[in-house]
Amino acid sequence: MLATLRLGWRLAQIRPRFAIGYMIVVTVTLLAIFAPLIAPYSPTEADSSSFLEPPSAKHLFGTDNVGMDIFSRAIYAPRIDLTIAVFGTALSALIGGSLGALVGYYNSGRGIRVWLSIAVMRAADVIQAFPVFVFAIALVASLGQSIQTVVLAIAFVNAPIYLRLMRSQVLSIRSMRYVEASQVNGLTDLQTIVRHVIPNAMGPVLSQLSINVGWGILLTASLSFVGAGVRAPTPEWGSMIAMGFQNVVTGQWWPSMFPGAMLAITVFGFSLVGASIEVLADPVKRRELLSEVRQRSEDKRNAARMAGPKAAPKAAPKKEAI
Amino acid sequence: MRRIGIFFARRMLFVIPQLLGIILVSFLLVKSIPGDPAVLMLGPTATPEAIASLRQQLGLDQPLYTQFLIYLQNLLQGDLGTSWQTTRPVLEDLILRFPATLELVTLSLLLAIVVGVSLGVFAARRPNGWVARFADFYGLSAGALPDFWFALVLIFVFYTVLGWAPAPLGRMDLIVIPPIPITGAYTIDSLLSGDMQAFRSALSHLVLPVLTLGLLNAGPILKMTQATMEKMLDSDFSRYEVLSGVPQKLVVRHALRNALPSIVTIISVLYGFLIGGAVLVEIVFSWGGAGQYAVQGVLNSDIYPVLGFVLFSAIFSLIVYIIVDLVYVLLDPRISN
Repeated sequence: MLATLRLGWRLAQIRPRFAIGYMIVVTVTLLAIFAPLIAPYSPTEADSSSFLEPPSAKHLFGTDNVGMDIFSRAIYAPRIDLTIAVFGTALSALIGGSLGALVGYYNSGRGIRVWLSIAVMRAADVIQAFPVFVFAIALVASLGQSIQTVVLAIAFVNAPIYLRLMRSQVLSIRSMRYVEASQVNGLTDLQTIVRHVIPNAMGPVLSQLSINVGWGILLTASLSFVGAGVRAPTPEWGSMIAMGFQNVVTGQWWPSMFPGAMLAITVFGFSLVGASIEVLADPVKRRELLSEVRQRSEDKRNAARMAGPKAAPKAAPKKEAI
Repeated sequence: MRRIGIFFARRMLFVIPQLLGIILVSFLLVKSIPGDPAVLMLGPTATPEAIASLRQQLGLDQPLYTQFLIYLQNLLQGDLGTSWQTTRPVLEDLILRFPATLELVTLSLLLAIVVGVSLGVFAARRPNGWVARFADFYGLSAGALPDFWFALVLIFVFYTVLGWAPAPLGRMDLIVIPPIPITGAYTIDSLLSGDMQAFRSALSHLVLPVLTLGLLNAGPILKMTQATMEKMLDSDFSRYEVLSGVPQKLVVRHALRNALPSIVTIISVLYGFLIGGAVLVEIVFSWGGAGQYAVQGVLNSDIYPVLGFVLFSAIFSLIVYIIVDLVYVLLDPRISN
C-alpha cells in the first residue's frame, strides 16, 4: 500500500497531469466533507429578495431563479454526487467482479456451474444491448425515485463491465501453476478463488474503479437533469444545471455554468486518477516509469555535478553568446 | 455466397434469443414502473367502472405472462402498442421520430470520425509530439464533459451572445415549412424536393447538436486510432517500408489500411451507443427524436413507447454489427479466404 502511494507520488512528479488529477479528486472530497464550514449560505434556503443575481462578492457564483446561493449549492453537491457514484461503483465492482471471477473459473468442463456461467454471460449481453441511459431511467422509475435507486441503477448498468474484466483476467490466471498447486493441496474452489485468483486479477479492476466513479457522477447528474434522479432543492449538479437551463437561453449563464464546470472538472479528475492507476497496475508500464524516474534523478545529479564547481562564472558564456 | 448465407444463419441463431431476452427484460422493467395507464389516460375524474372497463380493454387485468404473450403476438403483426400520451400507434410515432435521431446521430458520428481518425493518425506519427499530448488531453476531457452541459455552453455562446445559431427549439425554424417526408431526415428530404430554404434551416439547426455529440464522442475513436496506428507503424512491415525508402505518406497510408478493422469496430459500437446516448442532447435542443420520446414515456408511465424504442435501437445496433461484419470481409482479405 505504502509502496504504491510512493510510486503514485513519483508518477505525479514526472507526469504533472496526474498530479492535477490527484489534486482535483482530493479537493472535491475535501469540499464534500467540509461543505458546511465553507459554504456562506444554506444550500437549500432561498432568499426571495435576490434572485438571478450575477456573480458578486456577496454571492460568488450568483443566485439562481428562486434566490438560492449557487456557490453554496455547488459546494454541497459533491456530497450527493460523490456518495452516489462511489457506492454505485463499489456495488457494481462487488457484484460484477465476484460473478466474473466465478464465471471465469468455471469456464470449461461439465456440470451445472458451467451452464450457469454461460447463462450469466448471456444475461450480461442482454443488459449491455440496452441503451444505457434509457435503461437507467427505467430502473429508477420502476424502483421508485430515491438516492438508493440511483445507486442501484449505477451498479446495475456498470456491473457487466467488471464481469467481463474479471472474467478475462481469471481465464488467464486459471491455468497458472499456483492455482493448480492450491487445488492439489486440497483447498476448495471458493478458497482458491478468494485467496489466489482474485488478488492476482485485481489490477485492471482497480483502474476501472476510478474511471467509473467519474461515469457514475455523470450518470447521476444526467438522471437528475431530466428529473429522474435527485430532486430539486437537494443540492446536486445535474438538477442545478436543469434549473438554470431556461436562464442560459435568455443570457443568465451563471446558474448552469458553474455547477456544470465543477461537474466536468470532477469527472476529468477521476479519469486522470484512473489513467494513473492503469500505469501503476501494469507491470510493464510501471517498469518504464521507474526507469524514467531513475533517469531523471541521475540527470539531475549530473547536472548538479557539472554546475557545482563552475557555478560562479555562469554569466560569462551568456555574454559570449550575445 | 453460400458461406455468407451460413454466416447469416448462424448469426440469426444467436440474435433471436437475444432479442427475445431484451424484449422480456424491458417488458418486465417498464411494467413495474408504478402508475396505472388506465388511470392516467382517463384523468383524475374517471369513475372506477370506467377505469375497470378500460383496464379490461387494454388487457391490464390479465396475468403478466399473458400480457407478455399478447405483446409478442401483436409485435409479430407489426403492432407495437399505442402511446397514451400521443394517442397514436407507437410504430407510427417511431417512424416519425427515429429518422430525426438517426440524422443527428449519423452526422455527429461522421464528425467524430473525422476528428478522431485524423487526430489519432497525427498523434501516432509522433508519439511524444505536441499533437500526441493534445490528443491525450482531448480524449480524457471529451469523455469527462457532460454533453447536456456542453450543449448549453454552445447555445449560450452561439445563440445568446453571438446570435449565429438559431434558437434551440427543434429541427427547423417555425416559419419554415418542413419538406414532404420521404426519408424523414429533413436535410435529405429538402434536397430531394429542391427546397433550399428548408435545407438551410435544417442544416443550421443541426450545427450545435452535431458539434456537441461529434466533439464529445470522438474520444474512443481517437484512442483506438492512436493505439492501433502506433502498433502498425512500429510493426515489421512499416519498418521495412521506411528502410526501403518508401515516402512517409505511403507508409502511413498502408498502416492506416491495416488499422482500419479495429477502427471500424469502435465506430460501430459508438453508432449503436449514440442512438440512445443522444437522448440528453435531444432534450436540450427539443429535437423531438426517438430518445426523447422514450424518456418522456418512462417519466409518464407510458410503457409502449419505451418498449418500442428499446426494440428499435436493439435492431438498429444489430443491423450495424452485421454490416460491420461484411465490411471486415472487404477490409481484411484474410477473412474471406
